[in-house]
Amino acid sequence: MRLIKSSLALSLLASLFTFQANAENYLIKNATVHTATAKGTLKNVDVLVQNGRIVKVGQELAVAGKATVVDGTGKHVTPGLINAATRMGLVEISAVANTVDASTKLENMGASFNISPAINFRSTLIPQNRINGLTRAIVLPGNGKSIFAGQGAAIKLTDTLEGLLSDNVAQVAAYGESGAGQAGGSRASAMKQLDQALSDADYYRKNQTRFMPGTDFKLSQSTNDLKALFPVLDRKTPLVISAHRADDIQRLIALANKHNIKIVISGGGEAWLVADDLAKAKVPVIMDPMQNLPRFESLAVRLDGAAKLYRAGVKLLFTGGGSHNGYLVRQSAGNAVAYGLPAEAAIEAMTINTAEVFGITNYGQIRVGMDADIVLWDGDPLDVTSNPDLVLIQGKNIPLVSRATRLRDRYWELKGNHEQAYQY
Amino acid sequence: MNIKLIVGLTASLSLLGCEQKVEKKPIELEPEKPLYQSTYQPLPSEEFVIVNATILDGSGKQFDNATLWVKAGKIQAVGNDVKIPSGIKSYDGKGKWVTPGLIDVHSHLGVYPSPSHEANADGNEMTGPNTAGVWAEHAVWTQDPGFDLALAGGVTSLQVLPGSANLFGGRTVTLKNVPSITMQGMKFPGAPHGLKMACGENPKRVYGSKRQKPMTRMGNVLGYRNAWIKAAEYKKKWDDYYQAAKEGEEKDKPKKDLQLETLAEVLNGNILIHNHCYRAEEMAIMIDIANEFDYQISTFHHAVESYKIADLLAEKDICSAMWADWWGFKHEAYDSVRENIAMVDKANACAIVHSDSAIGIQHLNQESAKAMAAGNKRGLKLTAKDAIRWTTSNAAKSLGIEDKVGTLQSNMMADVVLWSQNPFSVYAKAEKVFIDGALVFDRDNKSANAVSDFDLGVTDPAGERL
Repeated sequence: MRLIKSSLALSLLASLFTFQANAENYLIKNATVHTATAKGTLKNVDVLVQNGRIVKVGQELAVAGKATVVDGTGKHVTPGLINAATRMGLVEISAVANTVDASTKLENMGASFNISPAINFRSTLIPQNRINGLTRAIVLPGNGKSIFAGQGAAIKLTDTLEGLLSDNVAQVAAYGESGAGQAGGSRASAMKQLDQALSDADYYRKNQTRFMPGTDFKLSQSTNDLKALFPVLDRKTPLVISAHRADDIQRLIALANKHNIKIVISGGGEAWLVADDLAKAKVPVIMDPMQNLPRFESLAVRLDGAAKLYRAGVKLLFTGGGSHNGYLVRQSAGNAVAYGLPAEAAIEAMTINTAEVFGITNYGQIRVGMDADIVLWDGDPLDVTSNPDLVLIQGKNIPLVSRATRLRDRYWELKGNHEQAYQY
Repeated sequence: MNIKLIVGLTASLSLLGCEQKVEKKPIELEPEKPLYQSTYQPLPSEEFVIVNATILDGSGKQFDNATLWVKAGKIQAVGNDVKIPSGIKSYDGKGKWVTPGLIDVHSHLGVYPSPSHEANADGNEMTGPNTAGVWAEHAVWTQDPGFDLALAGGVTSLQVLPGSANLFGGRTVTLKNVPSITMQGMKFPGAPHGLKMACGENPKRVYGSKRQKPMTRMGNVLGYRNAWIKAAEYKKKWDDYYQAAKEGEEKDKPKKDLQLETLAEVLNGNILIHNHCYRAEEMAIMIDIANEFDYQISTFHHAVESYKIADLLAEKDICSAMWADWWGFKHEAYDSVRENIAMVDKANACAIVHSDSAIGIQHLNQESAKAMAAGNKRGLKLTAKDAIRWTTSNAAKSLGIEDKVGTLQSNMMADVVLWSQNPFSVYAKAEKVFIDGALVFDRDNKSANAVSDFDLGVTDPAGERL
């Protein structure tokens, strides 16, 4: 009972304060703080949040002006978590096609497909994920008819269009088995398509005036799609390429070197076999450490793959749980720790690493000046038995309510067939 | 029930009608040959104890700093005052936890194995909405590397089911998770068959999209009822045949129909119903269909909305096999709540954590941990000794093997897991797994563990895959 009382009281208190001035001021006292910085994990530390930012991190901080004081004794603070590969906002019910906007079947739209206008910030997935500690997400398109899926976005998990942080944080392409499928049935044709597209985009960028109407240059992609590759050629956004097989990854590293672009490997089942190549080329890997079922392109996949990559110096970005349960990236990270990854590295793979790779600023660490995306956990943030007691997104307190918690509360006491409908 | 009554009535009526009926000698019928019988033999084992451990016995009890004694593949004793025989193998369980071997009531290992591709996708006979005549065990690929991964997660028994494309998907099979060339070598001796049924979206989508029956949930129910009517007729034919033989009367043996045979065996109480069903009102309809045709539903699988009718499920003694948190992949999975399992348990209904996933089966302890934590966050006081039931004794009950496995009570099969710590944590690992007392997985001595044919030499000709 004590647990529930205190958490109810906390959320009640918190929701009251969101309607008052200085709502964004919080002082979390005496918590274990996972900073996701070089300082690592700090014990018995206070975090002061003012006007949506972290303004102080230290011991025995005093309340400056009005602030809600939250006792963090025995609890843990992390940055709000981010999942590095989701379809959040692009899917409500996976099997109901009308509610899914993740890819296009248009013939002439590949790299230029930008999913940002489709993101639904009032999706029920947003509250369900944020009350479980996920405050941000990378939203990536799925492949349609092109080997290029298009441009991905970064979002914060709020209810309004302001949640769109950036409408183009990455270009997405498929390689390995799925890329081969996109490119007529062979990795060789997939590689040719990727290579040609990057060459054509470079040529087009340097010779745009020659491509006036009436000229008959043959290009491998539409000019719109080639234009969409300019930020990749400029190294402004990375090319996220799905691949598992070790030699697929090595060949993609060679492709990146040839075109002088930044790539991120997504999947990476066998990435640990070529960890040194990835580290040397500074190529990060997006992975779900719990995905350990062998496929023919990931025969060597294993639960300690993430730990092996980390030890070799590869930057890790974690995903997991799909989109509906994108917050379960935390369980995936916990499993990576169970199989050898240092806990701090696991926190970084759900916060600052993803922020850095996709250019999200002011987010991903508990330090002065950062946006106050903060989760206060009732236990070890990497363990499956822990849950949030407090979630702040840029200092705004998120009521711990979702459609699922409403249903739970409606049926908590079973009262009868008709009466149930009046419980809300 | 009714059929038996009528048979009895006609028999006595005819007796009354005849003046001097001579009692005929019953005809000895050749017994039905048992088919695809289990050839399972426990692996070699030695007598042992685990001492100083925290032991969850699966029936709701926790013993601290306790001893488990296993002899001849059976649980001998568990508790704080077990007299340890001298000279037997002893494992130190200090800081470690012991539980019964985990049981997954919903797996497709072997029928949807890894690597996953069309050529070995053998779980759904999508050629008609009623394929009650197919058996999952006829498609189990024993070399699925998923079996070994599940074993490393502490899973010692599992039910392999056909998929949910059909109203009647076919017979399920319960396996012991041991290495074996043949399916028969894994088949859990004495475990009853199940029959997979499916509610809702899947059958109507698979057949409706081909403009075939069923296209709606109405059509689903029509399909079930028509099938049970035929099954009842079929059962009567066989009952009459056996009854006649008992009365010394020779009758033509009815023609076997494999589809109807499975259904009739459900009506005879020999095959358990495992019903894929998400929505509360559909479960209530399925319960009424079971009443109409006089069979018992063992378990609703997936049961995303069991929390809405947990009282009804408790009253009808039907288990719910659930995920901790899956939702939103279909509309019928839209009302999922993270407290579902805890809420079903709270209503004193039979709650089970299942996987339906070759990844989830490796982490059933974590799925239970999440479900327990979600319930406790909302105010319940569930502990490890409660939560372990969801993958042990309750699961065994669902499969009709509760007299053999699922608890650590005396004389049960010694299917046991020694965990590195409290199993309800992301950090917990199964260190040693015993099946019928035999050490079948040892995290500390990998070279003693079995390796599937598939894994052998596939990544490194001279080395191992893992």
